[in-house]
Parts: sequence; structure tokens; C-alpha cells
Amino acid sequence: MTNLSPPPNHRQLLIGMAQVALSSFGGGLSAWSQRIVVDQRRWMSDEEFLTGLTVARLFPGPNQINMAVYIGAYFQGLTGAMAALAGILLTPFSLLMALGLIYFQVHQIPAVDRVLAGVVAAAAGMALSMGFRILGSYWRDPIALALAAATFVALAVVQVRLIPLVLVAGPVAMAWYWPRPGSPGGVASK
Amino acid sequence: MMEACTQLRQGDWSQLLEVIRTFLSLSLFSLGGGNTLLAEYHHLSVDQYCWLTPSQFADLYALAEAAPGPSSMIVGLLGMGAAWREGPLWALLSAYAAELAVLLPSTLLMVLACLSWNTLKDSPWRLAFERGMGPITLGILFSVGVKILQTSNHGLPAYAVSIAVCVLMLRTRLSPLWFMAVAGLLGGLGVINR
Repeated sequence: MTNLSPPPNHRQLLIGMAQVALSSFGGGLSAWSQRIVVDQRRWMSDEEFLTGLTVARLFPGPNQINMAVYIGAYFQGLTGAMAALAGILLTPFSLLMALGLIYFQVHQIPAVDRVLAGVVAAAAGMALSMGFRILGSYWRDPIALALAAATFVALAVVQVRLIPLVLVAGPVAMAWYWPRPGSPGGVASK
Repeated sequence: MMEACTQLRQGDWSQLLEVIRTFLSLSLFSLGGGNTLLAEYHHLSVDQYCWLTPSQFADLYALAEAAPGPSSMIVGLLGMGAAWREGPLWALLSAYAAELAVLLPSTLLMVLACLSWNTLKDSPWRLAFERGMGPITLGILFSVGVKILQTSNHGLPAYAVSIAVCVLMLRTRLSPLWFMAVAGLLGGLGVINR
């Protein structure tokens, strides 16, 4: 393995994550995060980074924000997590707030509304693609598809709210997938 | 079908507390990267609290997708909308409060997860959670997609654009900013109505 740098302090975490946020203007937050944390600053090995990504995706919260929190906590605990969180959020959130303030001032202008009607149709297409994007990994598991279908019907047709749904369906699904000795994939992780 | 939704007149502070409470309680339900909460955000900010009209919600979703950074920052925009009528300063305060509220619980949990991962990683709870929540996330994401589609679109041209973008998102690696730019142009020309 290549040599790693000494663990970053709070200031370095803040600056490093701000650099990730700035570099990724235009997209590819995840790739930039790895490039900067692993390749440029050598804080983590690839393995350590990928472990972090696994944890960030597993737990609730936005993946890239979770990843920043993981990196901060990994080196400096809770306060490090806060520094990294501030670093990854400050610039893009300030920019978004500026955009929001402008939006609420101008959105009633007819020309603006017409353009937005188009942008919104495109954004809706992006929202629709999210489910299809992960559908492939469940294609061979009829139980998973049935669970997904039941979830969809409960939310979209019966109009059950999300929190009660997750609180009921979550334990049922976890019980079904509880690792049992002898069951397929019961011992090894993916 | 739907009665007119009017925001309750509330004092500034109780409004702010309502925003904070709402997003705090949703934080730990943001499975699969946060987008799973979008339909719930819509329900709360449009139907329940009347912070926003349906087209404002759709606009803010598009804004959060188009702007750089994680699109989950839409929560800040919703907080802003909740307090817009109190003036821009209150709107900003409410925006920051909303974003901090939705991030705080998941961040604390993430710190715990990071520090205890060596014991957690082989736990049966972890395996069951990872495998069990996947299909539920899948179902939620489809319902979110349908909800956003219904909120955003009226008329055939808009649906055609959405479905075209969905296919392009899955089949190409083009930046979605291009799709939004082209669709915005079509909208400006009056092709897409709502």
C-alpha cells in the first residue's frame, strides 16, 4: 500500500471537504470525494474509503453527506464529523439559499414560470429514473419484488404515510432476510 | 377535489418550531440516500402545512436537482418557503433550521456507526437491515417518482419530456443539466405548459 498522510485535524477536514464540494460543482460528488480523500490528500486507503461508502449508504441520510460525516468521525470523532459536515455543505448550501431567495422573488413572472415548467418536467424524469436505476439488482429475487410492489401500492395507491409504512414493513422485511445458517447467502455478506 | 390549502397564521416562532419538529422526525427515515423522503416532503409542505403550492414544490425540487451539491438540500428550500411570508430573513433562518434539523439525527447515527463499525459489520442486524430495506427502498423510490411526475406535469408534452429524460438518464451518461437546459428552453418557447 502507498503511505498515508498523518490523520487530518479539524481544520484540514473542513478545508478538504470544502474542496470536495467545490470540485464537484457540475456533478460527480462521489468520484471527487474519493479522488481528493484517497489520491490527493492520502488520508485513507481505497479499502478504508470503500468501507466508509458502504456505511454511508447503509445508514439513513444523504449518501454524500453521510460519507463526509464518516470521514470526519473516522479521524476526529463527533467534532471532526461536524467540521467535515460544515465543509461539504457551506458553499453549495449558501449558493442554493441565494438561488432560493431569487426564486421566491421572481417565480410569478410569466416568462420565468414558462421556463420552470420545462425544467420541472425534466426533473420529474430524473425522479422517475431513481427506481429503475436500482431495479436491476432485485430482478432475480421474487420476494424482494413483491415487497417493493407492496410498498409501492401502500404508498402510491392506499396513501399510507412513509413513517408508519417503514415501521411496519421494515421489521417484516428484516425478519424475512434475517441471516439463517444454511439459507442462501446466510453467512457470507455480499 | 381538494379544498384550497391555506397556511395557518402562526407566530414566527411556533412556525419555526413546526419546521424543526417536522424535519427532525423525518431524518432517520431517509433510506437509500435521502430521495425516499421526497413524497413525504410534498405531503407535509403542500397538503398538510400549506407552506407551498404544488407547482412551487415542483420548482424547488428542480432547483435542488439543478444546483450543485447534494439534492437533499431541498429541505433548506422547503424551510425557506415555509417562512417566506414572514420576510427574507425569517425565510433564511427557517431554511437553515430545516436543513440542520433533517441532518442532525442521521449525522449523530452516522458518527455512532463509524465508531462502532467493527462490531456492527458482522452483526445479523446489519445483514438483515441491508437486505430487508433494499426492496422497501425500491418501492418507495417508485412511488416518489410517480408523485413527482404527477405534481410536476400537466399535459402530454410535459409527460413526454419526463419520460424521455427518464430513459436518457438510464441509457446515457450525459449530465442531467443538459436535459434541464433543453427542457427549460422548450418551456420558454411555450411548448410545455402546466
